[in-house]
Amino acid sequence: MKAEPLHYLTNKHGEVRIDRFVTVAAWSFGALGLCLPLSIVGFLFARGVEVISWEFLTTAPGGLPLGVAGGIMPAIQGSLELVGLGLLFALPLGIGGAIYLSEYCTSQALLKVTRFVTECLAGIPAIVYGLFGYSFLVVAINLKASLLAGSITLGFVMFPLVLIGSHESMRSVNWVYRESALALGVSRSYMVRRVVLKQTWPSIMAITLLAAGHAVGSASPVLYTASIIYSRGGLDLNAPVMTLPTHLYYLVSEAISFEHAYGTALVLTMGLLLLNFTGRYLRRLSGKYGV
Amino acid sequence: MDSIIPVIARWPKDVFRRLYQYFNSIKYASQNPLYLGDKVLWSVSCTALVLGMGTFLFLAVFIVREAYPALAQGEGLIAFLFLDSWSPLATPASFGILHAWIGSLSIAFICLSISIPIAFGLAVFIAEIAPDLMRTVLQPCLDLLAGIPAVVYGFVGYVTLVPWCERIFGMATGESIVVAAIMLAVMALPFITSTSVEAFRAVPRDLKEAVLAQGVTRWYLIRRVVVAKASSGMFAGVALGLARAIGETLAVTMLAGNSIAVPRSLLSRGQPIPSLIITELGEAGVGSPKYHALFASGLLLMLVIVILNSLVWKLRKRFVYEG
Repeated sequence: MKAEPLHYLTNKHGEVRIDRFVTVAAWSFGALGLCLPLSIVGFLFARGVEVISWEFLTTAPGGLPLGVAGGIMPAIQGSLELVGLGLLFALPLGIGGAIYLSEYCTSQALLKVTRFVTECLAGIPAIVYGLFGYSFLVVAINLKASLLAGSITLGFVMFPLVLIGSHESMRSVNWVYRESALALGVSRSYMVRRVVLKQTWPSIMAITLLAAGHAVGSASPVLYTASIIYSRGGLDLNAPVMTLPTHLYYLVSEAISFEHAYGTALVLTMGLLLLNFTGRYLRRLSGKYGV
Repeated sequence: MDSIIPVIARWPKDVFRRLYQYFNSIKYASQNPLYLGDKVLWSVSCTALVLGMGTFLFLAVFIVREAYPALAQGEGLIAFLFLDSWSPLATPASFGILHAWIGSLSIAFICLSISIPIAFGLAVFIAEIAPDLMRTVLQPCLDLLAGIPAVVYGFVGYVTLVPWCERIFGMATGESIVVAAIMLAVMALPFITSTSVEAFRAVPRDLKEAVLAQGVTRWYLIRRVVVAKASSGMFAGVALGLARAIGETLAVTMLAGNSIAVPRSLLSRGQPIPSLIITELGEAGVGSPKYHALFASGLLLMLVIVILNSLVWKLRKRFVYEG
């Protein structure tokens, strides 16, 4: 299958030469793919690590203009609150819809239409959801820029991702398991609980984490629906909150403090990487058990 | 004998109860506690689906309804897309998004022409050439690249690419279409790569080995068999990357310069559609012409995504059925 190494290197035949060149080129693409992410994260780390301290993580921003001193605690808190509340909307609807599609839906047309629409929804830019959230939730039904409006908007962002992901994992459960369970005379709901959900919960968790990570990182839906330059933290549905991405955006676009921007970016990136890698680990774990 | 009397006396009642239960369980299977949970789960999951999809149907209708006035007045769609300029402060204020869609289109074009060659090269490397060790290192690296949020990309571009651009081209401000496109190319790279790697992996192994057994080189195999077989998957990856590049908001807003002039060259500042929306949304009074124009541009974004997605849908079907 492979040529002798020496023969391969000394061969002057055109095709082999090109192949050698392509191999080198592919390795350099590989090196680029390795260096690019590592250099971005390394750059953030090198600049941001001295900003991060216990005080930076646990105090509210201060100084004048706001943000040159203090920390980012309310932003971390606000981001977590927004996504947590958003999951309260997105998770039941997404998983419920996925259960209906994979277990009860008998019409192929309905299945196809729903999947197509959901995939479009997952691809629609977050700014469109921000536009809708601002004009409908914030202005039309008068929620004001608040935690509630922002979390519903983030729910819009997460719902299609959760639905698609959990439907895919439920669909990949082997039909033999389902039919053996049903042949024993148990009800469908029992089968869903004890066979389907039992096999797919790691990948549903994984999807949830990945969707949450996506939502934490996106600033455009919350910029006008929930965020504010300064808040003291705390959980109030009707009050606007600070979030990490919008805080970073304010710090950079108003040129307030690049030092703190590095710190915020590093915290945001590290948090998201943790979420993403946990999600991917869970997904691989579920892959190991045959789902 | 005496023990049978009470049995007989009880008999009709028992039988009737049994029969009643039996017919009842057939007639109302759902009243059986075993099937009750089934009914509950059915109705709950159906409600969830209807509620979820209904919300998004409402969203679509709302956006179309709010976009309609901007498209219906005056010259309509043609004026909105080609004739008018974005001049909210002029005396007859006009809201055309010529500059925005030209900006979006040029950024997407440069972004793809940078990221497609790199992504395909990387995908070929991961799927066909890399040894296992390299593969296990590269895959998390791509996940890392995909996991970094857009604002952070915008920030990194703002502190690295923008000053470099100022130094190299001697510009007053480095924020330009080309900078935004380079950063977007980095962001789209993991999506195109992982979709293409999936497509390459789906090429049957026996096919590859049959070709290699003919004594051809690996490049020949990649060129004539793997890429040919996986081409629809690769196109799907490009469409996904394009969808991402068109919808990206904050990173582009931070890097492209946000100027409402129609971009003349790659180094000029621009304002793609998402940046237009996020910049102007805060100052648009509800019901004003500007508000409707923003909704019309949001609708345009949605339409582009739906078209790209139906392309992906079609390609994926072919790609799945061919194996």
